[in-house]
Amino acid sequence: MKLLRDLLDKQVVDREQIKIGKVDGLVAELRPGKPPRIIAIELGSITLARRLGARPGRWMARLAVKLGGKQHGEPHRIAWHKVKDIGIDIEFDIHVRETSIFAWQDWLRDHVIGRIPGA
Amino acid sequence: MKKLMEISLGVVTSVGGFLEVGSMATAAQAGAMFGFQLIWAVVLGTICIIFLVEMSGRFAAVSHHTISDGIRERFGFNVFLWPLLAALLVNFLVLSAEIGGVAIALEFATGIGFQWWALPVALLAWLLLWKGTFGFIEKGVSILGLVTLCFVVGAVMLRPDWTAVARGAVPSLPVHDAANYWFMAVSILGASISPYLFMFYSSGAIEDRWDKSYLGANRAIAGLGMTFGGTISIGVLIVAALVLATHGVTQVDDYHQLPLMLIPIFGFWGFVLFVVSLAIACFGAALEVGLQQAYLVAQGFGWNWGEDRKPRDDPGFSATYTISLLLAAIPIALGLDPLRLTIFSMALTAASLPLTVVPFLFLLNDKRYVGEHRNGILSNAAVIFIIALGFVLAVVTIPLQIFGGT
Repeated sequence: MKLLRDLLDKQVVDREQIKIGKVDGLVAELRPGKPPRIIAIELGSITLARRLGARPGRWMARLAVKLGGKQHGEPHRIAWHKVKDIGIDIEFDIHVRETSIFAWQDWLRDHVIGRIPGA
Repeated sequence: MKKLMEISLGVVTSVGGFLEVGSMATAAQAGAMFGFQLIWAVVLGTICIIFLVEMSGRFAAVSHHTISDGIRERFGFNVFLWPLLAALLVNFLVLSAEIGGVAIALEFATGIGFQWWALPVALLAWLLLWKGTFGFIEKGVSILGLVTLCFVVGAVMLRPDWTAVARGAVPSLPVHDAANYWFMAVSILGASISPYLFMFYSSGAIEDRWDKSYLGANRAIAGLGMTFGGTISIGVLIVAALVLATHGVTQVDDYHQLPLMLIPIFGFWGFVLFVVSLAIACFGAALEVGLQQAYLVAQGFGWNWGEDRKPRDDPGFSATYTISLLLAAIPIALGLDPLRLTIFSMALTAASLPLTVVPFLFLLNDKRYVGEHRNGILSNAAVIFIIALGFVLAVVTIPLQIFGGT
């Protein structure tokens, strides 16, 4: 498997097939004398901004802290050992509700979308 | 039998997507100014969009990815960002133009200025997306869209010189207003080869749960549907050439000239038919473009998406189409001339084509996505031709915008 080709930018779903996001980044562990190993995937706007460059990454992190508080200053990570299936989507054995990945979507639902009749 | 139903529904739906303010306005302008001479541009644009739509549907049916998913996954986020931004911008202008088209139709019907209609139209479109399902919107748009066939009926009733029509299908050099001629050709191509159309089509294929068994239906829908749409555009062009030009209108620079088109053929009902056709074609397109904005963003970032879900189940998706419709209504509400906006956005669409079409060359030849259903020589030749055409259009659009724009 070629990591960048076959993992990066693929759709991520949780245990209940809810679309969580894309594989925005990969976290590898460097081991002396052995090939590096993937330990987690990253997703979210901070990781995406970092892919554009160090400076956009810092700006996005600062913006995220400003909007969402300190706990949003780092990208979301999902441990690689939680991976369940790699097909069209990559399924992780997690429940998105137990993470803070959907915090902004929840905020949007509770404060805006949910208040409009018929939602 | 079920497949046959789906094919006919698909064909009719693609007409709804094909015929919108851009194709109507550019065809009418071209007909008034250059007679049948620009029919070739409609034919060429239709052939190009047939190929792209077929590929888009085939990619979705075989790989279970939409085109936006495919671009992001195959080329990575940093590359994906460019077609994403280009498509968002072009779609914004097109959406605004479609809202403008409905608003003008309502101005004709009521006498109340078009800018007052922009927000109500956007609100109605939003309401349908908010409450409606994909199937409801698809079927509604398509069945009502059949009213635009009145242009084909009108064109036939005018008894045009069919050999002259056929001669127009072959490209020829202009004898007057060269800059305008080429600008118009570019606008017609931009109106026919709309990125929102082929990208929306792949999302629709996923929403309708297509698989490999749909490949035949896909080919039929792409071929017949787009040909059907192109025929109506040619109908508009023929009517404009025969009616507008003989009434002394050679340059359509004011949309108030347009309803005249069908009156000599159908009398008062011609006026009604024109207004209803314009309103429905543009409203249907506004729904599709608004939805496509949300598809594009949600698919690009991997959020939940789907028109059949309740808005509270995919807040990001529904917020995107809500904001898109609202923003697109603003220029029209501020009184920006919808006809000028339409022509401008069609030319810009043409210029943006390389960004959205180049990925087709890679995606449709990648075994990991489409396996044995890869592009043949003909399809690849078509893609390369469209890319080359797009590059030429991108280079010529900007000077023509300055010298040839009306």
